[in-house]
Amino acid sequence: MSAIEITGLTKTFGTLTAVDRMDLSIDREIFGLLGPNGSGKTTTVKMLTTILSPTSGDASVCGHSITRDPRKVRDRISYVPQDMAVDAKLTGRENVIFFAKLYGVKRPRDIADEVLSKMELGDRADDLARTYSGGMRRRLELAQALVHDPEVLFLDEPTIGLDVAGRKKIWEHIIDLKDNGMTVFVTTHYMDEADYACDRVGIIDHGVVVANASPEALKANCCSDIISIRADGQYQDTVIEGVKFIGQNGDELKFEAPSGGETGFALARALSDSGMKIKSFAIRQPTLDDVFLSLVAEQEDTGEFDYRRFRTMLRRRG
Amino acid sequence: MIQTFYYLERDFRRWVRGKINVVSALVMPAAWLIFVGLALPIRFTDNYLDFITPGILVLTMLGASLQGGALLMFDKVLGFLPKFLAMPAPRETILFGKILFITLRGLIQSTVILIFAVVLGAHFLDPLLLIQTYLILMIFGVLLSSVMTTVALSLEDHDSYSAFNAMISMPLFFTSSALMPYDQMPGWLATIARLNPVSYAIDGVREVQVGIFPVNTFLGLIVGTIIVLAISISVFRKATV
Repeated sequence: MSAIEITGLTKTFGTLTAVDRMDLSIDREIFGLLGPNGSGKTTTVKMLTTILSPTSGDASVCGHSITRDPRKVRDRISYVPQDMAVDAKLTGRENVIFFAKLYGVKRPRDIADEVLSKMELGDRADDLARTYSGGMRRRLELAQALVHDPEVLFLDEPTIGLDVAGRKKIWEHIIDLKDNGMTVFVTTHYMDEADYACDRVGIIDHGVVVANASPEALKANCCSDIISIRADGQYQDTVIEGVKFIGQNGDELKFEAPSGGETGFALARALSDSGMKIKSFAIRQPTLDDVFLSLVAEQEDTGEFDYRRFRTMLRRRG
Repeated sequence: MIQTFYYLERDFRRWVRGKINVVSALVMPAAWLIFVGLALPIRFTDNYLDFITPGILVLTMLGASLQGGALLMFDKVLGFLPKFLAMPAPRETILFGKILFITLRGLIQSTVILIFAVVLGAHFLDPLLLIQTYLILMIFGVLLSSVMTTVALSLEDHDSYSAFNAMISMPLFFTSSALMPYDQMPGWLATIARLNPVSYAIDGVREVQVGIFPVNTFLGLIVGTIIVLAISISVFRKATV
């Protein structure tokens, strides 16, 4: 039994179908749900964390149905929404102890010590959360989420509004949790981060999951590598197996190949054998961005502008 | 249900740490008592201070409850509520914790008023009178704060909450029996005032002052509170954000 088993999960708001018959199975991995604004990411997470009930379909989380047994689901999960809500007037430790007590953890103080030092907040634990940086606040939220040792962790945009170092640290912690057997369900806008951290990604567009595989598989299936070679001399239609000539622009020749790293050098050698003089050589591998753009119909962001979210992001940057 | 106290503890810590909150909560009632109780050139009764004190006590609970709903609104718009709703703790405890905190905070303010009132010459030191007064204020506080937390849960943002608050607070205040006795009011106002739940609590305290046990007030407030609480609990159990 997978930690998360989603079958036909659907949510409609009036005439809008936010999530459309979703089927997914996720277990002991970091699963990243990617999609444009308003594609149904947060709605999915809210249904899986039992704070929104599905219109139809169901999902089981840790073996319990989100519709029939939501209390048991809540016992085994933690949810960190994107808002970054910690009590600024309480210390880091107080914030964590509050959660430990709510979860009915035994020895809440000891547990708080433990998770705070795990999240590298031990030496700032008695400072007011008001004085914490964005990255520290997010780690404080992770500490709160870990007090009851959940089996599944739901994170909605965990790195939004953080600086580069802060993001890296958050992902390191998330990967560490996964290595210790936790299932992590995360939504994000940042393709490079998903590529770096997620074992598997699902791409959702207008409520429909249009792709679901490892980042490597998605990139390989989406598009080939582009090999671009600048060379002097006459191009003699030299091709080697598995490589396709796309076109010439001045002295730049463009080729396409499934794995450009290996074939690229062979191709360059073949070209110099045919009498050309190679000046430069570059391989561009497809990124998750390319996958995303090829799968998600390019569109203007027509979602309602969320002023509150914009304001919080600005505040965090300050 | 122990979680109720953890939610209460959280709100209490946050309140005490914001020094201006505490100062404001203590200065405001004093201002009321002095400006309204002593400064208004009205003599409806032999001792206007004795007359106005129950009114100000109840209005303080009213103000505390109306303000208190905003606490839940902030938890909602700032993203705390989604976290709490995804926890195994019974969802009603979020509601109970807020109601308890709002009521307790109101009772603390009321205590400050009582001390001021007694210092200024009101007759309020009889233990039986004090116990019954506190009981009425507490039930009234629970009633109103459950209404307001439920309203906060149902409305979209803080602006709507403020608008709702402004809409009901003025009428409730001016059409109550707080400032003048019924026989001094114009006929139409007296009719409205008798229907106003705020007058209900005020009249209860006034009856206690003259030694009558206000059976009807207690019964009415308790029945009202049970009904409102039942509605709030059912709204909270189904709560989504």
